[in-house]
Amino acid sequence: MIMEGRRAFGFLMALVTVFAVAPLLAILFYTFAKEGQFDVSQFGRMFEHERLWKTLANSVGLGLFVIIGTTVIAFPMAFIRTKTSLYQYDWLDIVLTIPFMTPPYIGSMGWILFMQENGFLQQLVPSAAWMTDSFFSLFGMVMIMSLHLFPFLYLMLKNTLLRMNGSFLDAALIFGRSSWRNWLTVVLPLVLSSYVLGSLLIFIKTLAEFGTPATFGSRIGFQVFTTEIHTYLSRWPVDISMATSLSLFLLSVCLIIWYFQNLIGRRYTYGVLSGKTPAKREIKDKWYIRASSWIFVGMVLLLSIGIPYFSIIVTSLQKVRGDGLQAGNFSFASYQEVFTGGSAGLTAFINSITFSIMTAIITAIVGLLIALYIKKGETKKQQVLDFFSLMPNIIPGIVFVVGLIMFWNAPWLPATIYNTKAMVVVTYCVLFLPYSVQYIKSSFSQLDASIFQSASIFGRSNWHVYRRIILPLLMQGILTGMMMTFIISMRELVAGLLILPPSVETGATFIYSQFEQGNVGVGMAVAVITVIMTVIFMFLLDWLQRRGGQANA
Amino acid sequence: MKKRRFKLWATAGILLTLALAGCGNKEAKDVKEASAKTPEEKVLTVYSAGPDGLAANIQEAFEEKTGIKVEMFQGTTGKILSRLEAEKNNPAADVVVLASVASMDGLKATDQLQSYQDAANKDNINKDWSDGEGYFYGYSASALGIAYNTKNTTQIPEDWSDLAKADWQNKINIPDPSLSGSAVDFLFGYTEADNKAWSTIDTWKKNGLQVNGANKEALDAVITGEKNATIAGVDYMAYKAKADGEPVEIIYPKSGTVVSPRAVGILKEAKHVEAAKAYVDFLLSDEGQKLVADAYLLPGNKEIAVKDRAALDEIPQLHVDWIGAEAKQLEVLTKFTDLFR
Repeated sequence: MIMEGRRAFGFLMALVTVFAVAPLLAILFYTFAKEGQFDVSQFGRMFEHERLWKTLANSVGLGLFVIIGTTVIAFPMAFIRTKTSLYQYDWLDIVLTIPFMTPPYIGSMGWILFMQENGFLQQLVPSAAWMTDSFFSLFGMVMIMSLHLFPFLYLMLKNTLLRMNGSFLDAALIFGRSSWRNWLTVVLPLVLSSYVLGSLLIFIKTLAEFGTPATFGSRIGFQVFTTEIHTYLSRWPVDISMATSLSLFLLSVCLIIWYFQNLIGRRYTYGVLSGKTPAKREIKDKWYIRASSWIFVGMVLLLSIGIPYFSIIVTSLQKVRGDGLQAGNFSFASYQEVFTGGSAGLTAFINSITFSIMTAIITAIVGLLIALYIKKGETKKQQVLDFFSLMPNIIPGIVFVVGLIMFWNAPWLPATIYNTKAMVVVTYCVLFLPYSVQYIKSSFSQLDASIFQSASIFGRSNWHVYRRIILPLLMQGILTGMMMTFIISMRELVAGLLILPPSVETGATFIYSQFEQGNVGVGMAVAVITVIMTVIFMFLLDWLQRRGGQANA
Repeated sequence: MKKRRFKLWATAGILLTLALAGCGNKEAKDVKEASAKTPEEKVLTVYSAGPDGLAANIQEAFEEKTGIKVEMFQGTTGKILSRLEAEKNNPAADVVVLASVASMDGLKATDQLQSYQDAANKDNINKDWSDGEGYFYGYSASALGIAYNTKNTTQIPEDWSDLAKADWQNKINIPDPSLSGSAVDFLFGYTEADNKAWSTIDTWKKNGLQVNGANKEALDAVITGEKNATIAGVDYMAYKAKADGEPVEIIYPKSGTVVSPRAVGILKEAKHVEAAKAYVDFLLSDEGQKLVADAYLLPGNKEIAVKDRAALDEIPQLHVDWIGAEAKQLEVLTKFTDLFR
């Protein structure tokens, strides 16, 4: 069979090592080696700064608050979508993932423009001025991040609840005492484990987030790990060893959390999939349940999509920003500027597309090879490869970016891709490989062993079996993974800020730099175009998944 | 079967290499070209600290005139300095343009620049802004002032201390000096020239001074009316916004302000020295200086007329000596960030 045996393992491991493991080793090396000697003073220096503890407290605190924030939104939402008559509106699921797909820095810029002193809110409702002060605080930041991350937790909870609708509840109804007790002893424990897993992932994602802390956090003087690392690397005076030390620290924190998450995952996950498919029951609820459900959904949509998108679109259309919301103050000038041949914004946008497509293609190929090798992850080698290829998922992007910079700038390397466009693609590939591996693995796990058996009986050769049977069956997973990689690559900010070669900008860095030195209107126009494209891709993605007749969580 | 496996490997391998080569290709070729014919280099890498439009216009005019292709990295002064630092093992830039002469002098002091004594037109360029040994030339400058929102301001500020008054409470900001070279220049120049400067800064802090990102971010807050005034706002950005119809105006305090030169220099490790020299010559030429004036900056050559803005001799100036200032600037920066953290 293809992708088996020692040589395949060696090849894949070498690939993963050079691109994903070496950068992490480079961080270790730069932190602990000084002129060829082992030296802990760099790392120790970090602990002397009281800033480290402040940053740690900020990061961890933020993570915990965001867990609370996402819970408050995701739990009721998951209930509404499974237990009330709103279960039938499947389009809601796509709309609810839009906030997650929106680049976080764009979302928070939208919120800032809306809430700031003399912002859109005060222009619309002058009496709401009192909200501004309380919004520009940790509360506002938690709210923005929760509104961005909740879809993730929501989908996990919803899937668990859906799966339980069937035989578990029937059994509970037959053998249980009261519905209240059924709830407490059957449903809650089952939901709890997936909730704990989900919230730990939210925690890691919050720690790894750069966009919102960089835009909103810097505004309220709230520094977290990612922004601190970025500061040490990109502001004068530069302190690279401090950046690597912090990266190493953040890396350790994430690995510890991931370890616990794994532990919980292994110990408290129950098989909730039973043979019986849940019968679709008609749900009829009282008018007030219905009304309050819609109100809740409406509120969430307003806050997570309505407000940020309103600000972004209005800003991109404004002629004179100082004149605010006034008739006659709108034009398509910013869009015209973007679409004028060869404008910086358009070039940046096209660069983003090119990088993202290449990333999608390369990760699909590598992901397929890895997934074919890993299969169901039964042997040690398969598990090792599985771990390393999914590692970028649990390690914050900025840590990898720092490592890649260190690694590709090492003086002993005979040649380097640093300062070329290839560096960008390699970085994206390393960061987003887990998406394609996961999607392809999950479609692979749905192939039953009988397919292989009958194929090997009737097929002409292994190659033939792969090309005619397995690849077509995996195609949907491959394409979904590619789409996902494309969407995520399009919005990548921190890698771009640190590694782009001269003369090259991506859409994300362009938008960001327009706030620093340039024209906000044009930046927002590029943001609108990016988002429209993302949404179109999401509908395509959904259509693809439906066609395949499966739902990927 | 072995053959088939090989085929899959080969296809995957080729695809990967193609994909990677596709994007590395251009650069590789450029390098090869450059090393093949050293006498007539056709590429140049410039790291330039804004303003966006000006850098792009200069690039375009220069490319047209000389046929040399410019690779441009744009960022704030802080970003460029840190990029140089990160790339020490593997230098890429030929020319560097910074919004702070003191930082430029720091590069000279750490032996990262090379001298270009016989730059064309160097005699027309302001001596105070340039290095005597030709390591860098101050081809332009911005004056730092108080940019204010014309709609929300009733009493136009006249001096720095005015912003400590109650009228301005929570309505003032300053660009972040760790991002903005001109903001460091301002803090340094102001605290050097005025021994009460730190106590004035302290009164601003008490009055709710916000540190607001890079230059444009700080100015944008004034444009949208979130804040009413930016301290140490770069004047060319304010003039530009005003020309676009935004409700913003800039004044120079009567007790004097800092004029922050922007300098160009050639890096010691430059691979394309001839092209780099041509770039410096171009910046100092009348054509380059006119482009500078069009971007509302003060040209290094006083003979070039400025457009819709105050000329250099109309601005009350604090005298600042930039040479050897970098270490002191770092102190000022640390003191400031400690104060505002």
